[in-house]
Amino acid sequence: MNTAGHMPGSRLWSAYFGEMRFELIKSLRTPAFAVPTLFFPIMFYLLFGIFLGSMRGNSAMSQYTFATYGVFGAMGPGLFGFGVSLAIEREQGLLTLKQALPQPPGAYLLARAAMAMLFVGIISILLTLMAVFVGKVPLTFMQAIQLFAIDVFGALPFCAIGMFVGALVSGAASPAIVNLIFLPMAFLSGLWLPLQFMPQFLQDIAPAWPAYHLAQMALGTVGAPSAGTVAGHVAVLAAVTLGFFLLAMRRMHGSGFRLLGARPKRTLAIIASVGAGVLALALSGVFGGNPVTSENASAVTDSSDAAAGTPAPEPPAGVPAPAVAVIADFDAGSANAAFGVGWIPSGDDMRGGNSTATQRLVDGGADGSKGALEVSGTISDAIQYPFAGTMFFPQGPPMKGLMDISGKKTLSFQARGDGKHYMLMVISGLVVDAIPLMYDFEAAPEWREVKLELAKFANADFKRVRAIGVGTMGPVGPFRVQIDNVRLE
Amino acid sequence: MSQITLASLKGARKRYGKLTALDGFDLAVNRGELLALLGPNGAGKSTAISILLGLQAPDEGSAELFGHPPQDIEGRRRIGVMMQEVALPGVMRPRELLAQVASYYPTPYEVDAVIARLSLQDIANRPYGKLSGGQKRQVQFAMAICGRPELLFLDEPTVGLDVQAREVLWKVVRELLHEGCSIVLTTHYMEEAEALADRVAVMARGRLITTGSVEEIRAHVTRKHVSCVSKLAAHAVRSWPEVLQVEMERDRMQITTRNAEALLKRLLHEDPDLTDIEVKRAGLAEAFTELTSESAKEAA
Repeated sequence: MNTAGHMPGSRLWSAYFGEMRFELIKSLRTPAFAVPTLFFPIMFYLLFGIFLGSMRGNSAMSQYTFATYGVFGAMGPGLFGFGVSLAIEREQGLLTLKQALPQPPGAYLLARAAMAMLFVGIISILLTLMAVFVGKVPLTFMQAIQLFAIDVFGALPFCAIGMFVGALVSGAASPAIVNLIFLPMAFLSGLWLPLQFMPQFLQDIAPAWPAYHLAQMALGTVGAPSAGTVAGHVAVLAAVTLGFFLLAMRRMHGSGFRLLGARPKRTLAIIASVGAGVLALALSGVFGGNPVTSENASAVTDSSDAAAGTPAPEPPAGVPAPAVAVIADFDAGSANAAFGVGWIPSGDDMRGGNSTATQRLVDGGADGSKGALEVSGTISDAIQYPFAGTMFFPQGPPMKGLMDISGKKTLSFQARGDGKHYMLMVISGLVVDAIPLMYDFEAAPEWREVKLELAKFANADFKRVRAIGVGTMGPVGPFRVQIDNVRLE
Repeated sequence: MSQITLASLKGARKRYGKLTALDGFDLAVNRGELLALLGPNGAGKSTAISILLGLQAPDEGSAELFGHPPQDIEGRRRIGVMMQEVALPGVMRPRELLAQVASYYPTPYEVDAVIARLSLQDIANRPYGKLSGGQKRQVQFAMAICGRPELLFLDEPTVGLDVQAREVLWKVVRELLHEGCSIVLTTHYMEEAEALADRVAVMARGRLITTGSVEEIRAHVTRKHVSCVSKLAAHAVRSWPEVLQVEMERDRMQITTRNAEALLKRLLHEDPDLTDIEVKRAGLAEAFTELTSESAKEAA
């Protein structure tokens, strides 16, 4: 029989396809895989993103959680599918048997990668449906499609990382190792809690995590503030994918496993050139060399991603800040500032809450000055992110005008109050509901200075400042704080 | 009719650090035969098989499977494999496992036909992880044959099987041979090799010691067993030069000898009332023990 051993093309395709279906069924029947990968992102998003307080009136936060839980969902299937399964099957002889059997070259890897991407696709669709219909996240159809693509292709770097773990560690250790990568990386990349709320050094090292880059792309897509350029993120992710894949292949080959068949060089060359191609395209700006955020969100280019792309022309900055250093000293019997509109007591009723604030001028300012501004009121928990305080709009009309304060170095003021914690808030960026810079301080009974070095807050867009506020987001109950001598210099 | 070689190892050498697993090993598997590869633990059986399957490459020498290097998928599309110590995914069902393996082959058997042939209907839709050890081995055997292989590698196929399941497996092995399939069997059970093998290859310390039919291998061994009922004393018989060993089993005397003819003459001469004489040639197990221990002595 001359045709013995010859495999018709149709049978070969059905072998590849059957392998994928087998992997999918196996994964769905394995709770240790399906539960953490499929249900955790969906459950977490439902609990923390949607149910934990009303999302009404804070579309910035709802967009943020929606985008980042999608990225969280993109991490699991690749990490667990490769990291745990490969380690176990390598150790328990299944991979050896498959290698002795005529399993088509690459089918093992292809089936797992396809399964991971399919899982991520399912997660992405479910999250989108929940976000739109339950969370009322403002989202266009194109944004949803883009986010789906980012999540599904974003599974690949985590497949490669998982494969490396699976090639390296024992089957018994692999779930622990994978979790040690999965959960801390999700947190440190700002998937659960926006990076702005984290200590500065964690913000600084965030670009080291692949998930951070995927998250920035996802955030840019939904119009939330994000850093870096699409090209830069794609380049980092392509490099991570290719690097870990090649390391894993090398390790597997050293243990006698030929996952790509008898002549892997050609296949490896193809994979490497596709990876290098994506990298080159990214670097040459095909994915849009402009900042992720250029169209509809505040852009802060992260210097660590400077490798990428030619920036598109920047949207116009605000009006340059006047040369005067003192914004307000409250000594002239009014709450007016040296420029702009302010100070105006602000509650959260416009966003659906019922936290309130009133303000009055009081005698006895800081450093023996004549007067100060006292803001008091009540915080209630009617909405997820309540706020009450006083707001200053440097370039009226309120929230619409933009001022460029990037030429200034510090923002400072004196404060005293009831001993509780308050925050200085700087609302900036191209979109109104971008996540503001929030700086925590304690209002002690005696006057103290609060001073911000602007250079330390890379995530705020100081070229486009809409408002500067002092107030509180809680705890629930009454509050009282005085401010004086607000300076920008 | 000239023999067609399906798989071969020529001068294969393989070292793991200081340990020499194969030391110039030659083996040829011919079409239509069941070759039993025998050898004590550490003889190099597993290494030889894994080189033939393309799982390892020899340091020296060559390996071929249907005229291809074993790493090439073309040759492996014509073989079936049953290994020891493989953990298959416990959540999958035997029917699904069989369908998956069958999909790798150009012209496999129908999955249902394989299930029926091995009487696996009762367990075909139960999760593999819930099967007994013997049932798992049966499923693995089914996976090995489902691709309609021309050459089947069976590594200790009947370990853990009950008598009935072993009989079914042996029956199917004989049918496959009859249908023209060739089989390479590694086993610790000499009776299995004796019952099934056309040819036996005995290896020790990484080399081929001898190869031939079961009869030929047994003929290598000149020992015979003589058993009889006699009034002679065992210790007296033990002192005769032609006697290797004497044991009493109730009233029967079991004598091992290299010269049965001389022993019989002397027995009948010294005890004319001797009854119930039986003369037996050594079995494969003994032949195997003798061959491998001789080879060990030579080495030492």
